[in-house]
Amino acid sequence: MNSDPSSINRRDFLAKTVAGVSAGIVLGAPSILRANGEGGSDQIRVALVGMGKQGRVLFEAMSNIPGIHFQAVCDIWDYNLKGGMAKVRALQGHTPKGYIDIDEMLATEKGLDAVIVSTPDFWHSPHTVKCLEAGLHVYCEKMMSNTIDGARAMVRAMEKSGKLCQIGHQRRSNPRYRYVLEELIKGQKICGQIVNINAQWNRAVSSSQDIAYNPKLTIKQDILTKYGYQSMQQFMNWRTYRSLSGGPISDLGAHQIDIFGWFLGAAPKSVYASGGNDFFKNREHFDNVMAIFEYDTPQGGVRAFYQVLTTTSAGGGYYESFMGTEGNIRISEQSAYTSIYREDSAPSWDSLVERGYLKRKPAPPKPEPAPGVIASYASAAAEGFELPGELSKQPHQCHLENFFLAVRGKAKLTCDARHAFESEAPIYWVNPSALSKLPIQFTPEQLSV
Amino acid sequence: MKIKLTISTIFALSTFAFFSCEKKAETASTAPESATAAPATAGATTGMPLKTEFPPELIEGTPKPMNLPNLVAAPTKPPEFLAAEGTALLSKGKKVTSSDENPIIGDLTLITDGDKDAGEGYFVELLDGTQWIQIDLEKSSALSALWLWHFHSQKRAYHDVIIQVSDDSEFKTGVTTVYNNDYDESSKLGKGSHNPYAESRFGIVADAKGAKGRYVRLYSKGNTSNDMNHYIEVEVYGKEL
Repeated sequence: MNSDPSSINRRDFLAKTVAGVSAGIVLGAPSILRANGEGGSDQIRVALVGMGKQGRVLFEAMSNIPGIHFQAVCDIWDYNLKGGMAKVRALQGHTPKGYIDIDEMLATEKGLDAVIVSTPDFWHSPHTVKCLEAGLHVYCEKMMSNTIDGARAMVRAMEKSGKLCQIGHQRRSNPRYRYVLEELIKGQKICGQIVNINAQWNRAVSSSQDIAYNPKLTIKQDILTKYGYQSMQQFMNWRTYRSLSGGPISDLGAHQIDIFGWFLGAAPKSVYASGGNDFFKNREHFDNVMAIFEYDTPQGGVRAFYQVLTTTSAGGGYYESFMGTEGNIRISEQSAYTSIYREDSAPSWDSLVERGYLKRKPAPPKPEPAPGVIASYASAAAEGFELPGELSKQPHQCHLENFFLAVRGKAKLTCDARHAFESEAPIYWVNPSALSKLPIQFTPEQLSV
Repeated sequence: MKIKLTISTIFALSTFAFFSCEKKAETASTAPESATAAPATAGATTGMPLKTEFPPELIEGTPKPMNLPNLVAAPTKPPEFLAAEGTALLSKGKKVTSSDENPIIGDLTLITDGDKDAGEGYFVELLDGTQWIQIDLEKSSALSALWLWHFHSQKRAYHDVIIQVSDDSEFKTGVTTVYNNDYDESSKLGKGSHNPYAESRFGIVADAKGAKGRYVRLYSKGNTSNDMNHYIEVEVYGKEL
């Protein structure tokens, strides 16, 4: 794995990007925003491609970022298109131009600087490549593509065009994650040697149902066919189809497996996965997937277990646990799922608490010993701690801020297409391992562009 | 807009910054799991049970936190409400107007069309901030109850749910407030005594206690997932005068 782009002067970088201080540190060669022809405004002119659920989430996050002018909206569904245009109108006071077809949009719209791509996964690569080749910066949702070759094409297009391409692994710009990595794991080494990782994203059946739609709004079949969908049902539920997406392991798992490699600074050497249709019998993709990745790091071997279950919320939501010889950090986008524990045998963390690195959790009451129990082989309960701060921003906002700062030439992307590819490449091999019921020992070719 | 982002703390110990945002009286200690009892509905002690059709449950995605004080949990069974004999649904197909004349998603007819399904194409989305919708019952009526579904394909709670009844279409005179959970008076329509509640497919029944009027106005001010205002369906029950 290549070095993390933000590992160079990470502290300075973070202080001046995540905190929003715009002192000019320019890492790499981002494009400098050109002034538009209407009075020299330095607004970044943006087109929104894909205004479904995720497109709306990103728009809401961007609505809190100053200096953006939404110039055009593109979506094949009239319902999404009109809704997206109305959201822009509500925010900016004018109605942007709307398009069904991205090619028409790129041919017509002049002066665009950047495009936000939040279309279904199988369109990510074609749309991103088109926009990069048109000379535009791109923020594209993860997973980069439904195929590893699609992801490779995005990296090549980014590097050939010289334009920016941020992939939507938004945890990479989240100050809570960056704090845990830089200050706690690397700086204070509170985990000791990380020996295992355990992560999950478990959703209840009730939260994993097919997405419903009003039949009055059905897209005409010729349009659906033109854009790669067999039916309106498939259009609405593209995440469950093998030809359109990678399924839950890429839809949900990619966010978290990305953290494994980022925090360890290493790519896995193998994966062994299992999956099945345990509840949703008619879905093409597995509804439950479990995978074990093995890593070699300078500190030693690490095994990482990951499960994504769309059939139960048991197990306490979604998080990533980095389990070390001295401490365990369980982190999540939701602070309620985040906790830090010190091994009983580890050196005291009192000084870390005094200096504000950690907050101590209230100690749980000691359980009474069960009658007749003389001795226990269980370890003493680990001491609990919390992060000293909260992030109440919408979680995508920091990542989008990083993108727009980079467009302005004031930051380097925290997750450009090449680094995203290095993170995502092993994920493309999870479903093949589960289907073949065989472990896969990665070759350099499997994980490279 | 209800949410104002501010940089609250920059940790001296490191170069990392954490942000906080100022939201409507949020409390970090009140997680959805700790929410209290099911919505309380009163109504008469005798009479006819109010009945309606419920949409199927359809929840999308991972739930977001609902950090509100005294949050009433989503019910697991339909609310029970006794209305006076002869009570009827008065709002079906009636005209709806709004403070947001050009809804962002959907249109205002969806609110009284009788369709309560979750999913795309069944709800109307209004602008952020305090917004209202208003149903014209066409005749002054004595109201028993209002049954309300904001949005139920995601566990969320709406801020400042206020329901008023009046014979004045501009709500300047003769206004009766029958429901108000604006506990911090952020919409400046009076402080409410009802608790915030989590949305569900069962909706919520507000006791109108016989309030009289031709027009029903419902306010809200965003929700725990985003700043926008949504309605799937509103049913107004009562008797024409």
